[in-house]
Amino acid sequence: MIQANRYAQEPTSLTLRCLGPDCTVGSSVTATCLFLPGDLEDAELDTDFSFSCYAQLEVDGSQHSLTCAFDDPEINSTNLEFEICDSLVGVNCMNFNKLQEEKYFIKTKKFLMIGKSKICVKFREENLACKRVEIVHIVKPEAPFDLKVIYRQRANDFEVTFNTSHLQKKYVKKLMHDVAYCHEKDGNNWMHMNITNTRLTLPQRKLQSDAMYEIKVRSIPDSDYYKGFWSDWSPSSHFKTPDSAEEMNPVLLTIGVTSFFSVVLLVILACALWKKRIKPIIWPSLPDHKKTLEQLCKKPEKNFNVSFNPESFLDCQIHKVDDIQSRDEVENFLQDTLSPQLQESEKQGLTGSRPGPNWPSQSPVITTETFKGELPFGRPAGNVSASNASMLPSLWAPGCREGISSGSPVYQDLLLSPGTTDSAMLQPFPHQPGILTLNPDVQGQPILTSLRQNQEEAYVTMSSFYKNQ
Amino acid sequence: MFHVSFRYIFGIPPLILVLLPVTSSNCHLKDKEGKGFENVILISIDELDRMLAIDSNCLKKEPNYFRKHSCGDKKEAAFLNRAAYKLEQFVKMNITVDFELHLLTVSQGTLKLINCTKEETVSKEPKKNDRCFLKTLVQKIKTCWNKILRGR
Repeated sequence: MIQANRYAQEPTSLTLRCLGPDCTVGSSVTATCLFLPGDLEDAELDTDFSFSCYAQLEVDGSQHSLTCAFDDPEINSTNLEFEICDSLVGVNCMNFNKLQEEKYFIKTKKFLMIGKSKICVKFREENLACKRVEIVHIVKPEAPFDLKVIYRQRANDFEVTFNTSHLQKKYVKKLMHDVAYCHEKDGNNWMHMNITNTRLTLPQRKLQSDAMYEIKVRSIPDSDYYKGFWSDWSPSSHFKTPDSAEEMNPVLLTIGVTSFFSVVLLVILACALWKKRIKPIIWPSLPDHKKTLEQLCKKPEKNFNVSFNPESFLDCQIHKVDDIQSRDEVENFLQDTLSPQLQESEKQGLTGSRPGPNWPSQSPVITTETFKGELPFGRPAGNVSASNASMLPSLWAPGCREGISSGSPVYQDLLLSPGTTDSAMLQPFPHQPGILTLNPDVQGQPILTSLRQNQEEAYVTMSSFYKNQ
Repeated sequence: MFHVSFRYIFGIPPLILVLLPVTSSNCHLKDKEGKGFENVILISIDELDRMLAIDSNCLKKEPNYFRKHSCGDKKEAAFLNRAAYKLEQFVKMNITVDFELHLLTVSQGTLKLINCTKEETVSKEPKKNDRCFLKTLVQKIKTCWNKILRGR
């Protein structure tokens, strides 16, 4: 073991004594050491002088800065200096300036930024610790600034924008930005998003409603050549998310109100039309014959008196038919009654095509009931034809009830002889009950000829009547 | 007989010694990817170009120096090495501090990226105020670098 006296006050020779069993007589070495006043203590020599540095390029115009500090903050940095050599423009080495916070700082334009530089901790002229670093690998960008958060109501998101001084720099241009935000009540539960540009969109669905948020951003070099550390955080910004009740979209509100009123209207209409329209469709009622008949049949007029009292028919001439007379007698009867009318009709036919206004009242109606006896009083008409009551004028005698004559279907038959198809008499026509009238509108056709015809002619008339219908 | 030996002894070897530096190229490029050039040297070249706002006719007259020393194939590193040394001669032009810094950045940065076994012999110094030569030299250095990078 070699013991050296390190506490010499002035440069002197050092005598090294050999101690221990291995030493031999005369084994001493004389060495000259240079120890200046204020030497390091033993503890200080064992101190770890490890340090860290970071560089900021173009921090002040075109000047760069380099900052170093010891890793151990308790180091007594008195008389300690930092020096950088190599990879400098125009000079070999440069010394750092000491700051108050136990940091060493240098600001210069003379960083070559190509190749490695040597940074040493020096105690006077002695290097205590050295480190070879590339300046371009210890770059620390400047902190972003001007962080803003704007709420966009239409897009339902928050637009985050910020600025960085590196956009105008020549060397370190490409950066990666770390945007961090958290709910103030969550404490340290930060959400991080990495972006390369200076604009970010935060969707509202990712955030809680009616909550206060804090947001901040930092940067780091993001290129193949320049590398380094995260910058300091930007000043925090705060924003509040809107309340969910306030988020009601005007369009949705309008649709909701319209829908509500539509439903209310539907309910009112349903209640109003339930009985008349809706219920018959959903639950149709079984038809009541009595009521149906009442609906179908027209109600008589107010002053219409229905009575079967024979006394009410005093003004009408009713010819009772007691029995069925033979055909010959009928023909004779008809001949007698119709001949006076024939002359009159011929006269009228020559003068005008239309019957006179009183003509319909003079036309007789031959019904099954009335035909039992005599035919109605002499009312000669044209051809006897069965036709629809609605097309021909009424044959009721004047003075009778007009309501009946307005078209009520009356089944009439000239002759009551069922089963005699060959009879010249008109057969009953069950399908089209109509008034068997004596049509006065026929011109130039003698009425009697149709009656006087034989059975075949009458049959033809009925068949033609059937065909017309 | 004695005269013939004199020729071979004193004639040919010096000739070989003179020609040897011309034919051999002992320089090679350390930064093969060109990152140092693109991120540092090119920025200083552009700044020098901006500062040397000279008449465009200057570039039309190419000095004889560049006829002798060109960025030929397989000679790019040697040309850059030579050009970098030449560039340092213009430091004493005393234009501005920033100009000097960019000049030295290009020169020393290039020398850092090129490794030559032999030191370049310093040729005749150009005129101190020959800005036209300087601009041409800077452009030649940039062109040669681009040629190297295109070949990657």
